[in-house]
Amino acid sequence: MELRVEGISTAYDRADVLEDVTLDVAAGRITCLLGSNGSGKTTLIRSILGLTKPRRGRILFGGTDLTRLPTHRIVASGIAAIPEGRKVFPRLTVTENLRLGAYLETDAHIVTDRMERVFAIFPALAQRRSQIAGTMSGGEQAMVSIGRGLMSAPKLLLVDEPSLGLSPLFVKENFAVLRKVNESGVTVFLVEQNVHQTLAIAHEGYVLSKGRVVAHGTAQELLENDEVRKAYFGEGAA
Amino acid sequence: MTLALFAQYVMNGAMLGMMYALVAVGFTLFFGVLDVIQFSHGDVLAAGAFLALGTWVALTKLGVVSPVLLLAAVVVVSALGTALLGAVFARTLVLPLKGAPQLNVLLVTLMMGTVLREAIRLFYPGGSQPQLFPALLPTTAYGVGGFHLRLDNAILLMAGALLIAATHFFITRTRIGLAIRAVAQDEETARTMGIDFRRIVLVTFGIGSALAAVAGVMDGLYYNEIFFGMGLLLGVIGFAAAIIGGLGNLYGAILGGFLFAALQTIGAVALPFASAYKDVFAFAVVIAIMAARPTGLIGERASERV
Ligand SMILES: Nc1ncnc2c1ncn2[C@@H]1O[C@H](COP(=O)(O)OP(=O)(O)O)[C@@H](O)[C@H]1O
Ligand SMILES: [Mg+2]
Repeated sequence: MELRVEGISTAYDRADVLEDVTLDVAAGRITCLLGSNGSGKTTLIRSILGLTKPRRGRILFGGTDLTRLPTHRIVASGIAAIPEGRKVFPRLTVTENLRLGAYLETDAHIVTDRMERVFAIFPALAQRRSQIAGTMSGGEQAMVSIGRGLMSAPKLLLVDEPSLGLSPLFVKENFAVLRKVNESGVTVFLVEQNVHQTLAIAHEGYVLSKGRVVAHGTAQELLENDEVRKAYFGEGAA
Repeated sequence: MTLALFAQYVMNGAMLGMMYALVAVGFTLFFGVLDVIQFSHGDVLAAGAFLALGTWVALTKLGVVSPVLLLAAVVVVSALGTALLGAVFARTLVLPLKGAPQLNVLLVTLMMGTVLREAIRLFYPGGSQPQLFPALLPTTAYGVGGFHLRLDNAILLMAGALLIAATHFFITRTRIGLAIRAVAQDEETARTMGIDFRRIVLVTFGIGSALAAVAGVMDGLYYNEIFFGMGLLLGVIGFAAAIIGGLGNLYGAILGGFLFAALQTIGAVALPFASAYKDVFAFAVVIAIMAARPTGLIGERASERV
């Protein structure tokens, strides 16, 4: 389903972060949001999830207005998040973390099926079902976090900087998983700093700078946009 | 000390430990989901005991005589009514204060406790005096080599153990229990799993308060007497037990409850000439433990929370 963010402005206590952000996440596609550290990417994800309510603007998902709904209702409409920093429940087992991903699903068979699918994607987790998530390596926790995000069989997956703190090999594998998930029909909104790997799997994208959208286009267009490259991705990324 | 006397002490200690554990579990659960200390928890227990007594009085007046029926009704009404009291308390006073300074929450829960206590004293008929609690369990005693095992005590012990096991099962093995643990570890992430945070808080306060009510009923059945201030000491002991166990840690709270009862029992045995000092002894040991292990006896708070 399509996600529309219409003119939202979001602030923490005093600091204004997002200014009139408008963007579309097209159904069935991977849309990315690029921006340097502190540009407001996580704040946008938090706004969509209702964790930090926008002061102005609307968020529509498949035509339904989510703006005033509490987080659990927003999630119930078919949205799942793979949060920045993975945020696994540190004192729960792998299985319990995954179970929570499908919290709204009460049919035990469906939950088991989905869990087996996650284990098929990440065989390393299958061996560690009863390990406490907090005792795992960063790469393993990333698998738990991604797997947990898939457990609700979401229509829209919000992914916040999955590459953060991971080795290039893990990043590559996780991006491949995201692409496969998208190919199975899930709409993906991918927030990243890592320009090249992101644009390699995204269909289209937006660039956020200091809380404003400053560029928009297909992945190809963004890659070729010299202005964008210089201004927002720094020399090293070019 | 004779073996029979020893058995008597163990029995009594286990009985107390059970009650303390039931109270401590509430403290630890509330702290887990909301990071608050519910200082009126002991008075909620007293309210549960008086609700039980009131139910008994009312049913007896209505002519109900079957002890089984009376016992079931008393326990169920007390547990459900007190669960409701706890949930209403969470909904109207604790949740709205979320994000307020911790000291304000502390003050509100303390005052709420006073209100409950005074309400019992003023509004329960004869509430300013200790009230006789009916013996609803068969008091048959079996003598085993000088040791008197009373059937009611055996039933109470078994029921308490079952209840603690059931609570443990609920928290560690059910979907709602999993949600409670998730909220305790990371509230925001839990909400993004689709968990209705407010509902989980209400459920948790309901369960914790119901357990306190059952502890209050057990106390009444064990001592055959309840009074409006009974929650003060039980509250402090339950809180101490939860802290010993590492606040937020379920196993810790249960063990803490039994540990405190063991300390009291040891105090009573070691100071036979002054068994009135058993509480002083137990609290002194707790203070010493706190000085040596500021995060509690059982594990670090950060690594062991529910
Ligand atoms: N909880 C918060 N309270 C106040 N300011 C915040 C908070 N979280 C983020 N910010 C500020 O909002 C801005 C955007 O942060 P964020 O959305 O995390 O950016 P990004 O994810 O793009 O790195 C930053 O200036 C940051 O300091
Ligand atoms: Mg971020």
